[in-house]
Amino acid sequence: MTNRTPSQTVGPFFHEALRWKDAACVTFAEPGERVVVAGRLLDGAGEPVADALVETWQRAPTGRTPAPATGAANPHGFGRTQSGADGAFRIETLMPGGETPHLEVAILARGLLKALRTRVYLATEAQARADPDLAPIAGSQRIATLIASAEGGGQFRWDVRLQGDGETVFFAA
Amino acid sequence: MNDSSRGVEIDPPYLYPEYRSTRLRAPLQPLVELPPGALAMPGPRVPAGFVRDRDNDLTAHGAAAPLGEKMIVSGRLLDEGGRPLRRSLVEVWQANASGRYAHPGDTHDAPLDPNFTGIGRTFTDDEGWYRFVTVKPGAYPWQNHASAWRPQHIHFSLLGNAPVQRLVTQMYFPGDPLLDVDPVYNSVPDAAARARMVASLALQSGIEGIALGYRFDIVLAGAHATPLEARA
Repeated sequence: MTNRTPSQTVGPFFHEALRWKDAACVTFAEPGERVVVAGRLLDGAGEPVADALVETWQRAPTGRTPAPATGAANPHGFGRTQSGADGAFRIETLMPGGETPHLEVAILARGLLKALRTRVYLATEAQARADPDLAPIAGSQRIATLIASAEGGGQFRWDVRLQGDGETVFFAA
Repeated sequence: MNDSSRGVEIDPPYLYPEYRSTRLRAPLQPLVELPPGALAMPGPRVPAGFVRDRDNDLTAHGAAAPLGEKMIVSGRLLDEGGRPLRRSLVEVWQANASGRYAHPGDTHDAPLDPNFTGIGRTFTDDEGWYRFVTVKPGAYPWQNHASAWRPQHIHFSLLGNAPVQRLVTQMYFPGDPLLDVDPVYNSVPDAAARARMVASLALQSGIEGIALGYRFDIVLAGAHATPLEARA
């Protein structure tokens, strides 16, 4: 039996407390290919989720765990941003290394009693289907909700639907 | 984390209709299980300079002391194996003593306190201890249902050592009569788990004649030793 502390919603008033300067621009110890992942968060009625916290975590461009940062900087490899009035968010980072490049994504908001866990793949659908982590949905059309569309120049588009038609795949974790 | 294999669900469900905002935000499709270890890549490792002196004293940032009942909130950050999370970031935010957040979205007609923003951060020490100096937050009304008031609470955000340990929760106060009627608190199905979100009075950790002490321990998922380099 676990003695874990339960999750509660982040609520609507976290913005100043959890705002980290420049944290929407993820840093690493090493150089890499600059990429931008941008999209919108939408609820079950198709309305923007305008008060969400979005966090990302990923491998360094080398494929390794991001090296520790020093001084007063943000931690390497970690992104944190907040959705705007139109539900839009934007994370600038470096292309993760590894077999199938992806970002781990956590979404927290009013109305979410625990963080939503998902991933965005900066890869082709065929590559994502071959990722052993996604074996449970390798044959499902829903896997497409985890794949960003490449728009050229390192720009990727990825919308997240919390509920309803085209609902994004979320992970139990 | 899904604890159903162990018989008790710890976290609330996504859909909890009594908390109205869950109705259009809860996913309705089944969650997909990732293989064990998929969210275990350690990090993020927050640099030591990220927290400044007195960031853990929410009463120290105005021209004068904030209004309200001064208190010390301290406790330990542990994993399920009882091991301390060392040098781990703890972020908090709360309403002022009148029940008003220093946030543009808070329209509650209660006074702001020019000497209180209600925001703090700190690192745990080598034994997993954290400590904040603050004032007791007020209860406040919200729009969820008729006569809805949130119990007094402090929001806590913990990064842990890996994404699998990421936790945002709320600390409540013992004996608060609003706990029984609060849908956010009661969204946690297990009574013992709910009780773990309630601080205990800890007179000995207060400051004699100045501040009342409360203790709030937080247990994150997993039972992995803190990487040694995180102790630096």
